[in-house]
Amino acid sequence: MIEIGRLCLKIAGKESGKKCVIVDVIDDSYVMVDGDVKRKRCNIKHLEPLEGTIKIEKNASHDMVVKEFKKLAIEIKESKPKEKKEKPKKIRGKKEKVEVKEEKPKRKALLTVGAKKEKKETKAKTTENKKEKPDKPKEEKKVKKKIVKENKS
Amino acid sequence: MPKRSYRSRSIRKIYIKTPGGKTVIHYERKKPKKAHCGSCGAILKGVPRERPYKLRKLAKTQRRPERPYGGVLCSKCARLLFIREARK
Ligand SMILES: [Zn+2]
Repeated sequence: MIEIGRLCLKIAGKESGKKCVIVDVIDDSYVMVDGDVKRKRCNIKHLEPLEGTIKIEKNASHDMVVKEFKKLAIEIKESKPKEKKEKPKKIRGKKEKVEVKEEKPKRKALLTVGAKKEKKETKAKTTENKKEKPDKPKEEKKVKKKIVKENKS
Repeated sequence: MPKRSYRSRSIRKIYIKTPGGKTVIHYERKKPKKAHCGSCGAILKGVPRERPYKLRKLAKTQRRPERPYGGVLCSKCARLLFIREARK
């Protein structure tokens, strides 16, 4: 059953459930595998041989295998290599000038300019009232404390 | 006496030694039961036994085996299923 060109199903690992073909027989327990999976060495125990074979040479290239798979209507997902992104280079010792944006006054602030003034006025009034009030009870407390101290002594 | 809500039996204590040499008690919720296979009921390997909020901190690859039906079926049952689907 295990021979070059045999279609197989992977039943272990992250590529399990996908079809592949034996490209090379390494020894009595390992084979080289290619197809819908990554080209790599694979244990025979992790393969389930299927019916059907592909006519390929020993150590056939990945492109050849893909061609044969297309004839059998087996889709192969090709992973594209990532495009390299250019990273902004930092130069040591030189500090780049950061452009300072002129901040526009926010719309909310513009709307509440009038309201803020009113608030300030009201706050001032309240503070004045507060200042006046706490004078009396503080004195009373002090007097009380003094009385307590005198009693203790 | 600890906080009243920590006196529940559904909360476990963890003794932790601080750098200063003290042992303090941390209170945590109990761990859930181990993950089991969906078809045969065997204990799944490679699935950590933690509460969801701790699993969320792990990477996705650390949460379950990276195979189709990983974290749901055990490897034996998954193998049988792949073969059965191919034979259809
Ligand atoms: Zn199972």
